[in-house]
Amino acid sequence: MTSRVGVSTLLQVALPNAARPAVVAVGIIYFAVVLAISIWAARRTNTARDFFVAGKGIGLIALTVASVSVSVSGFAFIGGPGFIYAVGLGAMYIVLPAAVTNVMGAWVLAKRMRLLGEARALITIPDAIGARYRSRGAQGLSAVAILVGIVGYMATNALAMGVVINSIFGVGLGWGIWIGMGVTLAYSASGGILAGIYNDVFQGTLMAVASVLVFLFVLNFGGGLGEISRMILAHDPTFLGPWGRLTPLAALSFFFVFSMGSLGQPQAVHKYYMLRDPLQLKWYPLLKTLGLVLVLLLYFSVGVGVKAFVLSGRLAPLASPDQATPALLLNVTPILLAALVFSGVAAATMSAANSFINIGAAIVTHDLPIAFGRRVKNELGWGRTVTVLIAIAAAITAQRSGTMVAFLGIFGWGLFASTLVPALAVGLNWQGATRAGAMASIATGLIITLALETAAYLKVFSFPAGVTASAVAMVASFLVFFIVSWLTRRSAPAELDPDVRLVMEL
Amino acid sequence: MTESPPRESRALHNASGRVTGADTTRRAALVTLFAGIAAIALGYASAFGSRGTPAWAPWLLALGIPAALGAIMILGAARGDRGVGALKIPFAFVILMLVIGFGAALALPTSEGPLSRLWLGLPARAAIVIYVVGLLPIFVLPIAYALTFETQTLSAEDVERVRKLARENQAARGTLNAASEQIRSGASQEQHDERAPE
Repeated sequence: MTSRVGVSTLLQVALPNAARPAVVAVGIIYFAVVLAISIWAARRTNTARDFFVAGKGIGLIALTVASVSVSVSGFAFIGGPGFIYAVGLGAMYIVLPAAVTNVMGAWVLAKRMRLLGEARALITIPDAIGARYRSRGAQGLSAVAILVGIVGYMATNALAMGVVINSIFGVGLGWGIWIGMGVTLAYSASGGILAGIYNDVFQGTLMAVASVLVFLFVLNFGGGLGEISRMILAHDPTFLGPWGRLTPLAALSFFFVFSMGSLGQPQAVHKYYMLRDPLQLKWYPLLKTLGLVLVLLLYFSVGVGVKAFVLSGRLAPLASPDQATPALLLNVTPILLAALVFSGVAAATMSAANSFINIGAAIVTHDLPIAFGRRVKNELGWGRTVTVLIAIAAAITAQRSGTMVAFLGIFGWGLFASTLVPALAVGLNWQGATRAGAMASIATGLIITLALETAAYLKVFSFPAGVTASAVAMVASFLVFFIVSWLTRRSAPAELDPDVRLVMEL
Repeated sequence: MTESPPRESRALHNASGRVTGADTTRRAALVTLFAGIAAIALGYASAFGSRGTPAWAPWLLALGIPAALGAIMILGAARGDRGVGALKIPFAFVILMLVIGFGAALALPTSEGPLSRLWLGLPARAAIVIYVVGLLPIFVLPIAYALTFETQTLSAEDVERVRKLARENQAARGTLNAASEQIRSGASQEQHDERAPE
């Protein structure tokens, strides 16, 4: 959920050197566990289906924890608390949608995608779009859109891993990038999504434990939420206003983009294919929502807590808002807790990178060939090869061009949202949606997001307060989808295969 | 007395124009989704005006966002000829909570200060946003989803119907492939026979 702001913010953080014996020891244990899981998973990966959607499927608890892990990037631990420290409670509108997004995804997408997987043995999101509209063109276009988003995400995650690993081990940014990407690549290429899922389970558990412990520590250190609020209200009441320092339009825009946009995030939506038994979806939204709440406790408590501690003089003023978490961990909390959180941040970036590598490899070896009317014969072999290539390309891009990488990472979330939500989320629930509407909507989202983000990056155009390129592109994509589908409505019935129609009727 | 047609048959009738409860629900949800998105678009567009963002612009988002989110959930949850069934209550509750939460944050006067009364550790407007918008839906929607799962979302029978259709499609494809293979091999045999010396 928070990846968009997450990685790009993390990149701007000059994390302090945390290389102390306890932090290094916990970091080494963390990497040892990741490698052990990867070796185990590699032995169980024999086919392309094993590699891309974990073969016969994953159990409910494992899938839930893995899904929480990929939904939250390092932003929840570093950039997010810093954002709250800077703008107050307005920053909460990025995470408040978590209360509805998981169950919304379950109603709108989970059942239909899981059943489509059952009916057609689908393995990717463009697969679902291709099946829904009986269109190789729509499948190819959505694949291209996802690939563009992944390019940015992968490079930014590679750089974020470098920042975190450098902070833990003090090895330098360049080595940090290659060590992080090397470990992620080792388990992505050998064990595919199976290694990714079980590493996500480990990483998600680590993140939840670290988050809860930090939350409890902050409340205890600050004398409870009431005392923390009193301290802030005495010095800076706007901070605890309902919008913080943001305008209402900006805060509500965050809520819109991070709620509706969640329906187009491939790293989370792709997981629906993997549940072993479709009937286990029953408890999936509840468990995932509770998991997310646990992981996001740190986001809120550190942001608000550090503000109060700085105002009361218990913590020195921060050099920049993004130092909120590192300053708290290295100056106030026990060092073992700090070690746990630093490993948690590494876990968050690696888990996101693994997920995107896998989705990118599936697009290159599966969706794009299908769009051109071809099939790759050895999808598993090619999947592993492309996985290696994507990881190396991301690491090189991350090392060579920091500023450009940060720009690429910014529009990932919005690009996925504006290109996929109408065609996928509405399309799978509305038989009147048409192929032309879906393709026009995907193209609109792609073009508007790229154009507006580039214009904003080059400072040739600036948005009025509260309006973001992501939100504008998503709204435009929705409107185009509805209008073009309505104009071409006569073709709708002919574009639905009987099995897809059945899945949509259930 | 006429028997009601099985669900699958109703789905086919539905596709050919017969209006069911779910159709009405879906249509209402689609109109609401479109209206919600249009309201949000209007809110954004108004920010580009020369006089800055008008005071009513955030209200369009405060109403449009809950409408759009509620509508897309209803669109996903509607099924068969019974629409969203008992889910209408949790849906209405959550949409209302979002509207009340955003509306209160916009409408209530600024009151945060050192002497503010705290609600669960936060001043009133912040508490409304955090607890009403961010926490209350957690105790309603996922539980409503689980409680109505078999009747409203997915049953073992539904899964079996999809699997049965998948098996039939696979068998049909197998027969088709075998037939085309037979035709191809027959044609090549004929060619072979034609070329073969008598």
